Amino acid sequence: MLQQSATVLDIQRLSTEDGPGLRTTVFLKGCSLACTWCHNPESIPFDRQVQWIEQGRCIGCGLCVESCPSGSLRAGGKGIEIDRKICVACAACVKVCPTAAMELKGEVWNLDALISEITKDRSFFGKEGGVTFSGGEALMQAEFVIAAVKILKEQGIHTAIDTAGCVPESAMKGVLENADLILYDLKLADPAAHKRFTAADNTLVLKNAKLAAAYHKDYKINGPERPEIWIRTPIIPGATDSEENITRIGAFIADHMNESISRWELISFNNLCQSKYNRLGLTWDFESTPLIKAEKMEALVKAAKESGADPSKILWTGSTFMEG
Amino acid sequence: MTALSETIKKPRNLSPRIEWLRDFYFEGADRDWNNEYLSFGTGTDWDVITDETFVYTMYSIMPSIDATDISTKLAARPIPIPDDFFSWDLVERRAWFVKKVMVDYVPKEILPGDLLAGSRFQLRVSKCLSKEENDERDRLLLGEQGLRQKTLAYHERGFGNCGPSPGHLIPGYEKIVKYGFKHQFEHICELYDQLSESEKSGPKGAQLRAMKTAATMPKEIAAQYSAICRELAEKAKSETRKAELLQMSENLKRVPWEGATTFWEAVMSLWISHMLVMADENYPGPGDSFGRLDQYLFPYWKKSVDEGMDPAFGKEILKCLWIHCNTVYDAQIRIGNQGITAGYGQLFTFSGMGKDGKDMSNDLTFALFDCIEDMTPMLEPKPNVRLHKNSPDKVIDRVVDMISESQGAPFLINFDERSMAGMLREGRMSGKEDLINMDNVFDYASVGCLENTMVGNDRSETVNCNLNLVKSLEYVLSDGTDLVEYYRMDGSVYPKIHDGVKTGDPREFKTFDEFFRAFALQLKNDVKRMVEMYNQSDIHRAKYTPTPYLSILVKGCAESATDISAGGAELKYVTIEGVTFATTVDSLLAIKYLVYDEKICSMDELIQALKDNWEGHELLQARAKNRAPKYGRDDDEADELARCIMELWADECWKYKSEASGEQFRAGMLSWNYWITYAPILFATPDGRKRGQFLSNAICPSNGMDINGPTANANSVGKALGGKNADGGDYDGYVNYLPNGTSHTITFSPAMLRDPGHKTKFKAFLKGYIENGGTALQINVLDADMLVEAQKKPEDYRHLLVRVTGYNAYFTSVGKEMQNEIIAREMQNKY
Repeated sequence: MLQQSATVLDIQRLSTEDGPGLRTTVFLKGCSLACTWCHNPESIPFDRQVQWIEQGRCIGCGLCVESCPSGSLRAGGKGIEIDRKICVACAACVKVCPTAAMELKGEVWNLDALISEITKDRSFFGKEGGVTFSGGEALMQAEFVIAAVKILKEQGIHTAIDTAGCVPESAMKGVLENADLILYDLKLADPAAHKRFTAADNTLVLKNAKLAAAYHKDYKINGPERPEIWIRTPIIPGATDSEENITRIGAFIADHMNESISRWELISFNNLCQSKYNRLGLTWDFESTPLIKAEKMEALVKAAKESGADPSKILWTGSTFMEG
Repeated sequence: MTALSETIKKPRNLSPRIEWLRDFYFEGADRDWNNEYLSFGTGTDWDVITDETFVYTMYSIMPSIDATDISTKLAARPIPIPDDFFSWDLVERRAWFVKKVMVDYVPKEILPGDLLAGSRFQLRVSKCLSKEENDERDRLLLGEQGLRQKTLAYHERGFGNCGPSPGHLIPGYEKIVKYGFKHQFEHICELYDQLSESEKSGPKGAQLRAMKTAATMPKEIAAQYSAICRELAEKAKSETRKAELLQMSENLKRVPWEGATTFWEAVMSLWISHMLVMADENYPGPGDSFGRLDQYLFPYWKKSVDEGMDPAFGKEILKCLWIHCNTVYDAQIRIGNQGITAGYGQLFTFSGMGKDGKDMSNDLTFALFDCIEDMTPMLEPKPNVRLHKNSPDKVIDRVVDMISESQGAPFLINFDERSMAGMLREGRMSGKEDLINMDNVFDYASVGCLENTMVGNDRSETVNCNLNLVKSLEYVLSDGTDLVEYYRMDGSVYPKIHDGVKTGDPREFKTFDEFFRAFALQLKNDVKRMVEMYNQSDIHRAKYTPTPYLSILVKGCAESATDISAGGAELKYVTIEGVTFATTVDSLLAIKYLVYDEKICSMDELIQALKDNWEGHELLQARAKNRAPKYGRDDDEADELARCIMELWADECWKYKSEASGEQFRAGMLSWNYWITYAPILFATPDGRKRGQFLSNAICPSNGMDINGPTANANSVGKALGGKNADGGDYDGYVNYLPNGTSHTITFSPAMLRDPGHKTKFKAFLKGYIENGGTALQINVLDADMLVEAQKKPEDYRHLLVRVTGYNAYFTSVGKEMQNEIIAREMQNKY
């Protein structure tokens, strides 16, 4: 039986950073990794969660506390506190909240409804833009994503999958056969460091990367169109930002992927997600980490270009620290 | 923080001549020359100089009507009039008087280095009324039952306002440039000769005689300027300047009396024709628009370039036109910020499609782009660039580049397909398909801000009637009268009058459909009420304010021997601008959600909450604000209600024509600043808005409610206008209930345009808007920090332009409330 529904964290329209053109990005909930720097901490668990938006919304009416059947809400000094050990995310509080200060992260969408929602911007996609499935890990719900991609393809809409690659081989194959673009994350070359920072080693990540590259290289003229592949490496201070890491990722690309990818993007760390951690009652290891300086990004690009990876495909993006 | 100031657009590519003229212009009140109002009267006791009905749409100015009248009259210089003056028909008196003043009394100068003549034209001159006419006019306007008091009450009770605004049309400049006034003069003479003797001695004869008098005014003025140029040439220090002045003198011997033969002559002819419209109407310029400048001036541009004109010199001529257009602001130069408060909207249209959807951009189109860029931040003339499905990348790329380089689009973007669908609907609904059809609709252009009209034969009244749609909702909630108290300026309360439809006690309505039917009845009644109010202004205009010079420039007036103010034009429309649209839609959505669908409260509780201005009902208010559906989020159900309301009120307008001039009413949506003016007046609304908070602007979603971003916002706007209909529509499947166009503003953060990659993405947005959006779009690119800083240090941000509701304004001059509003918009922009 085909997976006809998916747990979706968010749908973002007019998205400019998830592939070419203007896109609608579907963030699916649940991730196979748990990167310490994650910019979408609410996307990691598969289960839906309730959260309280601190700024400017709550009027302190207390209806949420009254409505909670499990008694997991409390009006504290800084607002509504959620005891996540007992909260089952029944969303009773979300329903009664008059200001939408209580939010449910992780709504269930069925395929037809999602397709009609994410094609509303069709006129804005043009030839280049389209729909991106991201996460979490989009391919944790691969069956649904592949089904969606097939429908979009029939409608002539460009599709992209943003994946960290730590997924079953069958999932990877499914998207390679159907999607137009794979945004593939290579974060850390060293297996131990990968394990330390993302909670899983990179065996599967590298294996799937090779699979993607091989598929790309071997595709048959009469077969489905081969997808474009972009490699993306988040540059995180103290985690992925060493020249050694970049050099080793570059060497892997040079060995297996040089001809298959069309770009390798180094993306500088940003600190806009602090409030997301606060909302979830989590502390973030990168709370007071400043933005990376542009010179540092330049140096890393230099290391990447000298690593053996095709220098014409390397670039950096993202915001950087401004002096003064 | 100096870095921020440097990001503000500065003019560039200016030749020393233009640089000097520009700097001189910005000296403002310190200049030793200016174009402020010159007043002239007949010297009679009863003389009337100012036309108070001009300001009936501007509530804040209404209290000073008497003071302005008296001071203008005191300042007016009396000029001798012929003994039998008051035995002439009014239109002949007026033609004689304006011409006399312009030719014999208004000083004429050529500014240093200027390539165009025609410098002073802001007039306030006698209405030339006889004693009897004046008494009659006073009875119409003054006293308890007079139009002024009625207008005030209509306004203060929150219905809206109306009054006849001059300007706001596109005269037939193209014809003058091509054939000259001589051609028009001869045409009028022929028509006069065809009149019977009794017609000649009646109003028709008077009208045509007046137009003949007016038609020679430009010739005489050009001759005077020609002589001045010759004198200046003799004294010129450089040979180059001497040659320029001699050429100008030659040009003025030809135009605008005869057709232009060069680009320089064409622009000269255009300017003199245009400035005299403002002189004739005694109106400082708003909305007097040029039409498709890059189309009708192109043959002259091409010919002159082919004959050796340096395109850079051609642009200098155009830049002189820019300077001249900006002197309109001198009218009230001693009051306020160089007289600059907002764009006056001498609009010109460029680019856009021709027949069969082909793009019509040419070299002049791009020269105009250059001029706009080089002359920023000058506000006039106001560019309106037309885009469509076949707009070439070259045009769209230029548009996007210019948006990214200034603090927002230095022009309005008009969208051809949606606009033309509206124009064709107008032709169909008003039975004028012979004059608006597939063979000529592509030649439409816009006036003022974005109001679409036909060109050269269309008396397009566009901002005369402003109707607060949400008032009809109030009348449902209290069965045909005010729900809350409304106040006069002196603080006294208006008595409640049951002057609406008795739609019944809303507490008894069982379904939302029942409620909506009651709303429809009240709304129809309020359209009728507006029409009845406006009819009285129309009588005043038709009777007391002939403009024989303008009548020469609009087809139909000479042919029917009827002044344009009395309905002489071939096409004559008057727009009812719908105000508070999203507030109305959101309020109906909230009623449906709170009372009928979710049954969160009873109608009685909701009515009480509104009477209490939501005080003590905060929970209900929060639900209305945050939980009820809203227009502007691409929510099909909410947008369908928006569409229904739009169709309902817009179609109602077609049912009426004004009595005196026979103008067909039609719908448009341009809120000007009424969403602020009426904020403290109108009752607390069911969408959760308290009395005093801003209403919605034009067709835009309510402030901050478009939480799904610009694409969703654009889709909602397109749907509200009727969307697309695969089997029909009026043009290529497009439907547009608002023929006159509608103002839509979207603010983007500069990040959206930060590099070539993002600019490509932005282009995709514009192409999507062509498919799905409205008729016109104002794009702002701002960030809140910059605005907060500008608010704190206005002296450092004098040139910071913002665009609101389709008009440009300097941010530092818009007043704190509006500044806060703009900042709030920016803060909520999550992109």
